[in-house]
Amino acid sequence: MRLFSRRVHELSGAYALDALDDAERERFERHLRRCPACADDVRRMTETATAMAMAMAAEPPPGLKERVLAAAAATPQLPPLTPAAAARRRPGRRLTRSDWFPRLALGLAAAGVAAAVVLAVVTVSTQNRLNTVQAQNQQIAAVLAAPDAQIVTGTSSTGGTATVVLSYAEQKMIFTSSGLPRLPNAKVYELWLLSTGSARPAGLLPQPTDGKTAPVLAAGLTSADKVGVTVEPGGGTSSPTTTPILVMTLPD
Amino acid sequence: MTIPTGPRHRVSRVEARGGPAPRPDRSAPPRDDTDLERLLALVARGDQDAFEALYDRLSGPAYGLVRKVLRDPAQSEEVTQEVMLEVWRAASRFDPARGSPTTWALTIAHRRAVDRVRSETAAADREQRSAPVPSAVDDVAETVEASMDAEQVRRCLEGLTELQREAITLAYYGGFTYPQVATKLEVALGTVKTRIRDGLTRLGNCLGRSW
Repeated sequence: MRLFSRRVHELSGAYALDALDDAERERFERHLRRCPACADDVRRMTETATAMAMAMAAEPPPGLKERVLAAAAATPQLPPLTPAAAARRRPGRRLTRSDWFPRLALGLAAAGVAAAVVLAVVTVSTQNRLNTVQAQNQQIAAVLAAPDAQIVTGTSSTGGTATVVLSYAEQKMIFTSSGLPRLPNAKVYELWLLSTGSARPAGLLPQPTDGKTAPVLAAGLTSADKVGVTVEPGGGTSSPTTTPILVMTLPD
Repeated sequence: MTIPTGPRHRVSRVEARGGPAPRPDRSAPPRDDTDLERLLALVARGDQDAFEALYDRLSGPAYGLVRKVLRDPAQSEEVTQEVMLEVWRAASRFDPARGSPTTWALTIAHRRAVDRVRSETAAADREQRSAPVPSAVDDVAETVEASMDAEQVRRCLEGLTELQREAITLAYYGGFTYPQVATKLEVALGTVKTRIRDGLTRLGNCLGRSW
C-alpha cells in the first residue's frame, strides 16, 4: 500500500504537465483527493508549468477578440458548484459571500418578475451591466404594464411548467419556468417562436436554480406564433435539432 | 528571444553544473493576480466588460502556449477561442485554493491543446511534425513581458540536466505523454517520471517565486 502510493506520487510532475493519458489522469486525480501533500506538489509544479507557458506568450490573431466576445455573449455560464459540493472539494473552508450570493440572487429572481427588477439592481456590479439590466427591466415592465398583457401556462413533456406573459402590442413575451429537469453541462434549454414552417430562436434559458429559471425576454412576437422549448447542445442552435419538450399555443 | 526547446530540437549537450542562481527579485512588474481574481469574480456573474479585460490579460499567454503545442496557427486560433469561452463559461468554478487565475486559465489552455494534438486526426500528421520545420515565429516570444519570462525560463531550463530538460519540454511544449517521451528518449518509464518531477522542482526553485 505504501509502495503503491509512493509510485502514484511520482506521477505528480507528469500530471502537472498533462503528460498522463486519460485513464491514468483519472486514477491520479482520485489519489489527489486523499493526499494533501500531493496536492501541494501538484500546485507548485503547475505554477512552474505556468511560467513555461508565459514564456511563450504571443499576440493573438486580429479578430479573435471580437469573435470570442460575441460568442461569450451568447453562451450561458455554469452555475457555481453548490455549497455542499464546494465544501466536499475543500474541507474546512467557510462559505464566502460569492458562494451563496449568485445562487440566492438567481433563486429570488426566478420567484417573480417583480423580484427580478429589485434584485437586478442589487446584483449589478458595473454601470454597463446596470444599463443593460435597466433596459431589460424597462422592457419587462412595458410588457407587464401593457393593456393587452395576457398570461399563458403550459406543461412540459419531461415534467415542469412554463408561464408566459405576453403583449402583442409590445410584440414581446416574458418566459419563466418551474420544475424543468436539470440538464447535463453540455446541454441547454432553448426557447423558440414557432410559426408555420419556421422556428426563430428566442433565447436560452438560464440554468434553473431550485428548479426555476430566471425570466427570459423575447421580442418579435406575433399572434401567429407558438412558443416552444427544445434541449440543445452547449451554446444553443439556430434551428431546433430535437423534438420540443413544450409547445404553447398563444391566445388570438 | 528563442528557446531551444520543443520536440523537433535536439537540446545542445551541455552538462549542467548547478545552473543559474535563483533570482527571486525579478525586475518585471509583479503580476497582479488579486486584480485577476477580482475580474474573474465579475465574469462569474456575467459581466461582459470584465470578460473583455480578462481576455486582454490572458489571451496572449493562452494563444502562445496553444500555438507552441499545436504549431498550426489556424488550429491554434480555434482552440484559443474554445479556451477563452471555457474561461467565460466556467468562471464560477475557479477555486483560488488551487492556484492563480493565470494558472487556472493556462491549465485549461494546455489541456485543450493536448487533447487536440492527441486526437486521431492530429496524430496522423504527428510524425511529420517531429521532423525539423523551418519557422521564423514559432519559438519567438512576441511581447515584452513574455520575452523577460522567456529569458528567465530559458536560463533555468539550461540549469537542468539534459534528460530533465528534454523530458519536460517534450511533455509540456510537445504535448507527449510520459510513455511517449520515454520511447522518444529511449529511457525507462520510471526514469522519465522521476526526471520530470525532479526537473520541475529544480526549475521551480530556479524561477524562485510562486505565482
